Amino acid sequence: MKEFDKNNPFMTPEGYFEEFDRKLLNKLSQGKPAIPESDGFRIPQGYLDNLNQNIRQKFDASEVKAIPITSYKKYYYAAASIAAIALVVLGLNWNSSEDIDFEDLAHTEIETYFEDNELGLSTYEIAEMLPVDELEISDILSTQLNEENMLDYLNDNLDNFEELNFEDNE
Amino acid sequence: MIAEKTLVQQLKQPNSQANAFEVLVDTYKERLYWHIRRIVLNHDDTDDVLQNTFIKVYKNIDGFKGDSKLYSWMYRIATNEALTFLKGKSKRLGISDRELQDRVIDNLQADVYFEGDKIQLKLQKAIAVLPEKQKLVFNMKYFEELKYEEISEILKTSVGGLKASYHLAVKKIEAFLKED
Repeated sequence: MKEFDKNNPFMTPEGYFEEFDRKLLNKLSQGKPAIPESDGFRIPQGYLDNLNQNIRQKFDASEVKAIPITSYKKYYYAAASIAAIALVVLGLNWNSSEDIDFEDLAHTEIETYFEDNELGLSTYEIAEMLPVDELEISDILSTQLNEENMLDYLNDNLDNFEELNFEDNE
Repeated sequence: MIAEKTLVQQLKQPNSQANAFEVLVDTYKERLYWHIRRIVLNHDDTDDVLQNTFIKVYKNIDGFKGDSKLYSWMYRIATNEALTFLKGKSKRLGISDRELQDRVIDNLQADVYFEGDKIQLKLQKAIAVLPEKQKLVFNMKYFEELKYEEISEILKTSVGGLKASYHLAVKKIEAFLKED
């Protein structure tokens, strides 16, 4: 049997295999946006070559600038001292304002205080502190009593007038 | 390339400090530049922050105990400087952090040092709306190609947490890019 010609009769377009990789990758990335491999930034020409020199200049400038700061240090201390003294004087003036005493409190404030706070004092303790000599009966009772009413009350409720011990007052 | 340990020792010695600092700047300037640039986005602000970062490193090198690697210590300083810079800027302008981000993104189109196309601009918008940690992790992993272990040392976060943050960030960015 006559052998077939083994020469491949098929041909490919020119450059097909060279382009195959790129086409395949393009197809693989279809629908899936590829992130660009470079970011598009560039450096000005010669920038990196001069960087060392630029840093040295900046460094020297920052060192030179530092000198006046130390030489003016004493003035900063002086300014700080003056400011401190001014603050102390102001503070003292502020504190020397007239002292507030009990008389400056409004009566309503005192009443409110007693109403709002539990003093923890018994009736007897309060009675001891009250200046009885300065008190009038009218300070305690709102209804005015006349002598006649008082005598009637005593007649009705007291068996023995002696108990009242009026002797010293006679 | 000079060994990190030797470089640190030289930076701490007054007689070798200046030369060692130049080596330090030359070694790390580009990596730190891109790290800062992707946070603050604008070249001039990046320049300020980068210079301040190196000055801070120089001034504080005596305090570097070697508990972490030098580069992760520097990355940490750069990250803090960049975030502090942004906070200070929004405060100076009297706007919120988010409003500042929006403003910077809007300015990107007119930025001569940004030559991104439409999709790259959209990518920046997508990154801008991410929470701070996700934003940092995405940039460090995707663009700076740092390993999770390295990011973990810089941000002081567990590798597991970082993987979750990165995964979430990628999902959000893809969803954002899909939007019309």
